[in-house]
Amino acid sequence: MWREFDKFGKKLVQYGLTHSHFGNMSVRVGDKMFITRSGSMLDELDENQIVEVHLHKPTSFDIIASSELIVHREIYKNTSALAIIHAHSPFAVILSLLTDEKEIMPVDSESIYFLHEIPIITGKVGSAELAHNAADALKDHKAVIIKGHGTIAVGKILEEAYVNLCCVEHACKVKYFMDRS
Amino acid sequence: MKWYGWAGKLVDIDLSHRRIQVIPLELDMMRLYLGGRGLGVHLVYNELTSRTDPLSGDNLLVFAAGPLTGTPVPTTGRFACVSKSPLTGTILDSNCGGRFGPYLKFAGYDAIVVRGASRIPVYIRIADDVVLIEDARSLWGKNVRDTTTALKGYGSVLCIGTAGERLVRFANIMNDNTSALGRGGLGAVMGSKNLKAIVVNGSNRPNVYDANLLQHRNADITRLLIASPVSSKGLRVYGTPVLMNLINYMKVLPIANFRRSTSPHAYELSGERIHERFGVKLTPCYGCPIACKREIKPSGVEVPEYETLAILGTSCEVTNLNAIIEANHLCNDYGMDTISCGATIACYAELNNLQLDPETLISLVHKIGTRKDVGDELAEGAHRYAKKMGHPELSMDVKGLELPGYDPRGVLGMALGYATSNRGGCHTRAYIVGMEIFGKPKLIHRLSWVGKPNLVALLQNIFAAVDSTVMCKFALFSVSEEEIANALSAVTGVDFTSEDFIQVGERIWNLERLFNLREGFTKLDDMLPERFFQEDTDVKRISKSEFMSALLEYYRARDWTKDGIPTHDKLQTLSIAGEYSHVA
Ligand code: SF4
Repeated sequence: MWREFDKFGKKLVQYGLTHSHFGNMSVRVGDKMFITRSGSMLDELDENQIVEVHLHKPTSFDIIASSELIVHREIYKNTSALAIIHAHSPFAVILSLLTDEKEIMPVDSESIYFLHEIPIITGKVGSAELAHNAADALKDHKAVIIKGHGTIAVGKILEEAYVNLCCVEHACKVKYFMDRS
Repeated sequence: MKWYGWAGKLVDIDLSHRRIQVIPLELDMMRLYLGGRGLGVHLVYNELTSRTDPLSGDNLLVFAAGPLTGTPVPTTGRFACVSKSPLTGTILDSNCGGRFGPYLKFAGYDAIVVRGASRIPVYIRIADDVVLIEDARSLWGKNVRDTTTALKGYGSVLCIGTAGERLVRFANIMNDNTSALGRGGLGAVMGSKNLKAIVVNGSNRPNVYDANLLQHRNADITRLLIASPVSSKGLRVYGTPVLMNLINYMKVLPIANFRRSTSPHAYELSGERIHERFGVKLTPCYGCPIACKREIKPSGVEVPEYETLAILGTSCEVTNLNAIIEANHLCNDYGMDTISCGATIACYAELNNLQLDPETLISLVHKIGTRKDVGDELAEGAHRYAKKMGHPELSMDVKGLELPGYDPRGVLGMALGYATSNRGGCHTRAYIVGMEIFGKPKLIHRLSWVGKPNLVALLQNIFAAVDSTVMCKFALFSVSEEEIANALSAVTGVDFTSEDFIQVGERIWNLERLFNLREGFTKLDDMLPERFFQEDTDVKRISKSEFMSALLEYYRARDWTKDGIPTHDKLQTLSIAGEYSHVA
């Protein structure tokens, strides 16, 4: 399984969707979740950088899991997602800071078709508030943007979450330049 | 002069002459050493001469609180004890929670210095200005719980059990039953002085220079403690046993005297399992919001720490949780270090090719605590025992102090930390586990040497300073030297930058090194047991040549010579150049 994490971790960094330290990924398997370690580098993942934690109860591994563990848990508990990617994608961050709206409306046809509107949520890193807001918005969206922070995308497998995250970044990039043209 | 943070005086008690003196402290000295470990090391270094017998009246026991002890800064209800170790012959400092530290400050003292030895068993009673040496003949022969019960009406009780009386070389001094001044045999030093207990109470809080500013500083610290998963999700939820599954997963759990490094039974001893099986009650040290310490309800028996579960448990190949809980409780009652006790038993089992069962483990603890039968030899510690039996290679120690619960083959920063520790094989001098295992504040590669020598030296300095404030080391998983220096400045009114703070730690570390050099230790003692260079477990053995290179790099990082001796320039920078003559 870690190879799948490694593949998409490398892609995230390689294509400028985040820097190697800023983001995390997880996959749900039954009542368990495999999640990247706190402090791991997304483009240098190996089997020691992925930890297994329980979905419903705390375990000792919580302390070495990504500090966004609480957000991942809440999303899995409230949506049908089986994979989550969070990355500090630059255009999503910039656009969320440039608007006072609660969502971004894509302007390119593919994103309109795939994503509809993209919710912008708030909450401090790793907080219960952020976890609640993300889980709520992801009940009927494929991705959300945390204001000034980054994107969370979900899917049934990591690849789908990755595609959704790319789609959000593409939508934000196109909209950013369109708004300024 | 009005003191802030510090009380500004110590009480010096000569048991040989039954003389009690209150001695004022100087602010310049407190700036250099802070208090706690630093003050203790300064006093012990200056008062002892080379080759002092640690179990004679010539040895000193310094119990020292720090400028933050007893203030509202989180996790600062702690104090230190410094002496020369009867187990290792090195300088020895130990750090303890409980209530004794704050109560000492409330009584108006930064430190108690105990010198000499009494002819009959005595205890010391302190209540503000009243300091008495009392007859303890009726207490001699009692273990820790009974002694504490007898004296607790007078305040916070620091005492030895029969292990200390019988000079077990790894005897502890216990505070309020379950908090330990552990490692290295401080209990034996106290026993050799015929000092059964010290009990202290006081009625004044230390002054704080800028209470408003301190409120902000404390809010910063509390926010970080809450935000950090190690303190808020780990230690607070499971206590230190939170480490058991993690350390096993990382393949660095000591099994069978460090012959293996993973166990299929680790879960049985994990924080999760303890909480599944028992109801627990948090029993934090004074003023600690993390509250890693706990006891089992309703018996009140203490939950063993991770180190105890690993060394008295898996390293002895005993994974029966009830047995380890009982062995831990017995060690605390006799007043013995659980790591040294477990490591010595593990060494004994390997040397005699024994498979220990729970009953044998418990019976060995009793024998060591009373020095009966084989317990008399084991009470000398693993190093002396293995040497006497002709197998020194089977003692897993550094400088005579038995190693704790992290196999150095899989955590190379820890390997260097063990080897260079001034008190011998200890994990808490540079608690690099925070970075190598937890990834806090930053995950670093645990099987690489890159950057480790520098990092180990820096962490040793920071921990020495923290031990002198006296804050709990566990706070450092969340809080940096910057927040601590800020709190220190607000409490004392003396401006400390984080660089000043680290320099205090570096000064203490160098002075400890000078003490050990004066005692005849050399670079050859900065070494791990051969097992770690010769045998693989699930993790490969350490390359000796790489280790030696890292050691040299560590000396360079410290500005020491290639023989591990501090240079005159370095000591001058640290304002202790006068001590250079001891090593020149
Ligand atoms: S974290 Fe644990 S050991 Fe440290 S002060 Fe708090 S209760 Fe005591």
